[in-house]
Amino acid sequence: MKLTLALALLTALATANIGAQAPPARKPAGPVLRTADGKPNLQGHFQADGGGANYGLERHAEKVGMPGGRGVIVDPPDGKLPLQPWAEAERQARARPERGYDDPTAHCFVSAGVPRSIYTPSPLQIVQTPTYVALLFERMSWRTIPIGTRPHIPDPVRLWNGDSVGHWEGDTLVVETTNFNGKTWLGESGDIISYAEQVVERFTPVDADTITYRATVTDPVAYTRPWTIEMPLIRQQGEILEVACHEDNQDLQHLKDIRDAARAKEKGK
Amino acid sequence: MKASLSVAAIVAAALTAAAPVAAHHSFAAEFDENKPVKLTGKVTEMRWSNPHGWIYVDVTGPDGKVVNWACETAAVNGLYRRGWRKEDLVKDTVLVVEGWQARNGTPTMNTSTILLPDGRRLFAGAPAAGENSK
Repeated sequence: MKLTLALALLTALATANIGAQAPPARKPAGPVLRTADGKPNLQGHFQADGGGANYGLERHAEKVGMPGGRGVIVDPPDGKLPLQPWAEAERQARARPERGYDDPTAHCFVSAGVPRSIYTPSPLQIVQTPTYVALLFERMSWRTIPIGTRPHIPDPVRLWNGDSVGHWEGDTLVVETTNFNGKTWLGESGDIISYAEQVVERFTPVDADTITYRATVTDPVAYTRPWTIEMPLIRQQGEILEVACHEDNQDLQHLKDIRDAARAKEKGK
Repeated sequence: MKASLSVAAIVAAALTAAAPVAAHHSFAAEFDENKPVKLTGKVTEMRWSNPHGWIYVDVTGPDGKVVNWACETAAVNGLYRRGWRKEDLVKDTVLVVEGWQARNGTPTMNTSTILLPDGRRLFAGAPAAGENSK
């Protein structure tokens, strides 16, 4: 009996652990919801089952303090990011503790960037009208996506979340995003993106509670070829709340202290 | 008795392996995986704040000296979804807090779990996608 209890608890713990594990079994959901005009109704409170993507898009083992990742890259087939040599070197450099200060999310740009804002371990709300889809992130940022054919904003205008334009292909919402500022990291492990990034995202509902999310990233400055990630977005109970990151961000000073100490040590050599 | 002890050990091991708080910054940059911490102390303040909550706990050392530890948790929403409630963490509540110490050596830690006086153990991280789904 005790063993059964322990096993049940362990199962619960395993699923509670944000990492490489498969998501827990869910009740079967009904058919895809529809709006009055027959389009899929994507609205609601969702969270990505990012499988540890925020800690590295490639498959990686769990470490203390960093959840494992099942690997969300579906192209290239080997599941590896096709990094340019400089980008690989930079990614390795970002693994050093003194570089933690450089991740924009440490400065509270916490839902900044595409596709990271989707798989940040925090939920989002999708709001949909015939002419706009809005993604509202719990960490208090947003993306507005006009539906149609408007051109992207002028190239010199560069944004944390880029400029998005969407259209429907059957039941799939396709979102093309450009005009990124290149300042974001793709995860805490320091996965790279540059100002040349362009993203095509595909939101495909599979049932009433699940959307398959695919994002193809093209960035010839940082990568040798385009690459694609895929993960489910799962409907959540309740509603999004707020995470007001600037309220009490004590970590930034800690991270700055670590960076400054490393710099002083380097200077003293 | 032996059986229940070993069960407790299994569960404790699993808890220790649990993910840290879902942070807005790199764990490895700020905290030291080689400095696991398990402390028992009295709550002096619970700060229900963002991007992380902070539990401040007075811990009395073997020499009788009291050190106030700052224990970082997930943001307040994550704690709420994990079942944390204000009435559980009033001043002078005795807690067992587990996690990892900051690299800078100060009495600051990243919290994995807390154990409340009534035996409930709460995770300090944000819920994963599957936990909060229908």
